[in-house]
Amino acid sequence: MMPRRALLLLASAIVAALIVALWQLVSNLHLVSPIFLPPPDRAWAALLFDIDRGGLGGRVLLTLQHMFFGWLLASFGGILIGSAIGISATARAYLAPTLEFFRPLPASALFPVLIAFFGLTENMVLAVIGFGALWPTLLATINGFATVKPRLYEVARLMRLSRRQFILTIALPNAMPEILAGMRLSLTIALILSVTGEILSGSPGLGHWIMLQARSFRTPDLFAGVLLFGLIGYASVQLVSLLEFWLLRWRGR
Amino acid sequence: MTAPSAEPPLIAFRDIDVAIGGRPILTGINLEIYKGEFLCIVGPSGCGKTTLLRLAAGLLPPGSGTVSYEGKPVAGPQRDVAVVFQDYGDALLPWRTAAGNIALVYETMGTPRAERAERIAAVLARVGLAEHADKYPSQLSGGMQQRLQIARCLAQEPKLLLMDEPFGALDAITRQDLQDQVLKIVADSGTTVCFVTHDLEEAIYLGHRVVAMKPHPGRIAATYDVDLPYPRDQQTTPEQPAFMQLRRTLLEFIRGAET
Repeated sequence: MMPRRALLLLASAIVAALIVALWQLVSNLHLVSPIFLPPPDRAWAALLFDIDRGGLGGRVLLTLQHMFFGWLLASFGGILIGSAIGISATARAYLAPTLEFFRPLPASALFPVLIAFFGLTENMVLAVIGFGALWPTLLATINGFATVKPRLYEVARLMRLSRRQFILTIALPNAMPEILAGMRLSLTIALILSVTGEILSGSPGLGHWIMLQARSFRTPDLFAGVLLFGLIGYASVQLVSLLEFWLLRWRGR
Repeated sequence: MTAPSAEPPLIAFRDIDVAIGGRPILTGINLEIYKGEFLCIVGPSGCGKTTLLRLAAGLLPPGSGTVSYEGKPVAGPQRDVAVVFQDYGDALLPWRTAAGNIALVYETMGTPRAERAERIAAVLARVGLAEHADKYPSQLSGGMQQRLQIARCLAQEPKLLLMDEPFGALDAITRQDLQDQVLKIVADSGTTVCFVTHDLEEAIYLGHRVVAMKPHPGRIAATYDVDLPYPRDQQTTPEQPAFMQLRRTLLEFIRGAET
């Protein structure tokens, strides 16, 4: 199996390299004006320069903080509320339709509402991320509770587990595969909302920064920022996948 | 293994009727299981053998009549009554290792942390899983998973062990191996067993007594004493005249019950 996976990895790396090469070629041939599409080597140079001199590192850190804490907030909230609803079949039946109404609600539509509450603050950004990224984890938790095998309910009754013990030792571990998949989705939402939140609130993160670059037509720097977002998204999802792999190692081959 | 004595029964069913959704499942059940006894229940599917076991476990209240355990009516699951289910795959916690599955019992019993590791190791050793403590159920064979479920029940130190067709999903060799292991564990611990099966030979091989049930609605049709000495042997016990005779009787009974 291993050589096949290595081969796939290599193939996907080659495809990525080809896309960058194509991008370079299109720019070099001036098929698109470099004001709109700077070549990758210039974007790369801008990236290195901005990190070195432009204080980009601090901005990235701030965005990572928004994303991470917002995500944590959403994950804890989702698991907590999801457990409270999931443990009762009645609560599930009553609340599921309402939750389905909130879920597809675009979280960015909440910015105006939450700006009214919190003002243009860090807390506002966190609140929007917390709300927007809540749903995948919340619904996964509820669903994970609903899929506990009837046999395990009986085992729990026979062992006389308390409600709390049941949640901690059976329901949550049973829901864990779905919760982790939900948390992976919600991480991407957290990143998107960090950018939007920073652009709106003027919080000096990476999102705010790329908007400034765009306004002053520094496209190589703009692309450098976009590249960074791509990297953050990719790396964070990979990290959660690793966590998932480790936490779910019991699932066997 | 001690034979049933004149003591009061460990568990007694008195005039039990059970109906589920208006359909009678069990009717007029009177049965006593004595301390140290290995009682097997056989019967065609739909005869309510599993329902009888669930009554004993306190998972299901009787419609009428009483189930009493140690002289007191059963109101719910008891700490010292353990159940081994047939579907070991669903009854184990797949996210916990073998040791972790046993630990569940000690966590709920509030056993001091310091004692747990030693007791887990001892229980796993009794079913021959000492080397597999750190494996997840998905890494164990079916027979090993069932042994793990039995070990989890043993950790409860049950006075009464209820087994619901525990070896029905296993291959013949594994089944025989587990039958002997259960007999040995029961002989060592003196646990009372109520064992439901549809395999007549298994019932005769294991039990002191075999209760035969009939369906529609489920009722007890006959009770047979198994006149065979312990320890029993997979090779020689089935060759004894008493074994063969009882098998013939039960076989005729089952054919009669199904038609």
